[in-house]
Amino acid sequence: MRKIAIFLFALTAACAGVKDAPPAVKSHAEPVVATPSAVAVAPSPAAPLPPTSKDEAAKAESVVGAAPPPSKNESVKPVPSPAKVPAKASTAAVATEPPPKSEKPPAAAKAQEPPLDVAALTARLRDTKAIGTFTKLALKNQVDDLLKQFRAHYASGRKASIDSLRQPYNMLILKVLSLLQDSDPTLARTIAASREAIWSILADPEKFNSLT
Amino acid sequence: MNARTWASALIFPLAALFGGSSPAAEDVTLLKDLTSVIMLLGLPCGQVVSAKRQADNDHIATCKSGHRYRVFVNPEGRVVAQKQ
Repeated sequence: MRKIAIFLFALTAACAGVKDAPPAVKSHAEPVVATPSAVAVAPSPAAPLPPTSKDEAAKAESVVGAAPPPSKNESVKPVPSPAKVPAKASTAAVATEPPPKSEKPPAAAKAQEPPLDVAALTARLRDTKAIGTFTKLALKNQVDDLLKQFRAHYASGRKASIDSLRQPYNMLILKVLSLLQDSDPTLARTIAASREAIWSILADPEKFNSLT
Repeated sequence: MNARTWASALIFPLAALFGGSSPAAEDVTLLKDLTSVIMLLGLPCGQVVSAKRQADNDHIATCKSGHRYRVFVNPEGRVVAQKQ
C-alpha cells in the first residue's frame, strides 16, 4: 500500500515537472525566430550592421524601405505576396517605431536615479530599513545640526566662508554612505551621486531659504 | 498512533510556537544599531558585542574594544552615548 502511494506521489511529481517544460522550450524558440528580423530591421544608428552579402543588403534595404513615407515610387512598389504580408507588416511596424532608442535609455535611467534634494534624501533615509531607529535619530540630529550651521551662516551675512561648511557636509555624507553601503547599496549610490546636487542647494542662499 | 504521527503532532505546534521573529534576531539588529550610533557619534568602539536594556531607548552597550557606553535618547530628542 505504501509503495503504491510513493509511486503515485512520484508520478504526480513527474507530471508536474513535465508541465513546466513546454513554456521553457517555447521561450527558447521564440527569440530565435524574432532575433534576425529585429537585427535586420532596426540596426542602431550609431553602429549599423554591415550586410554580409549583396542579397542580404538588398533584403535589408527593402525591409527598411517599407517604413519611410511613400514619396515618389508608390506605383512601382512591388505587391507583396500574401504569405509575406504579416511578416512585412510586423517588421514595418517595428521599423516605424524606434524601440532600441526608446528602450535603452529607460534602463540606463533606472540605473542612475535623478539626484536627490534635501527633502527626498530625508524621506529616503527615513524609509530605509538598512539602519535602525537609534541611528536614524542620531542621523537626523546631525542633519539638523548642519542645517542650523548653514542657517547661522546665512543669518550672519558672511559671504566668503561657505566653503568652511563643506568639510562637515562631506563628513556627514561619508558617515551616511558608510552606514548604507552594505545594507542599502542602491540608496548609497543615489546619495553619492547626489552629493554635488545637494551641496549646490545648501550653498545657494536662495535655494536654501526656499528649502527651510 | 505510530512514531511518524507523534512526530508531526509535536513538530507543528513547536513550529507555530517558535515560528515568529526570534529574540536573537532582534538582539542582532539592536547591536548593529548601537554600533552604528556609536560610530556616528565618533566614539571608539569597533563593534557592540552585548547590550543591556535599562529602559525604553536606554541601553548599556559593551564594545569589542572593552568600552562601555550608555546609549539613550535625552529629553531634547537627541541620541547620546555616555561613556561609563
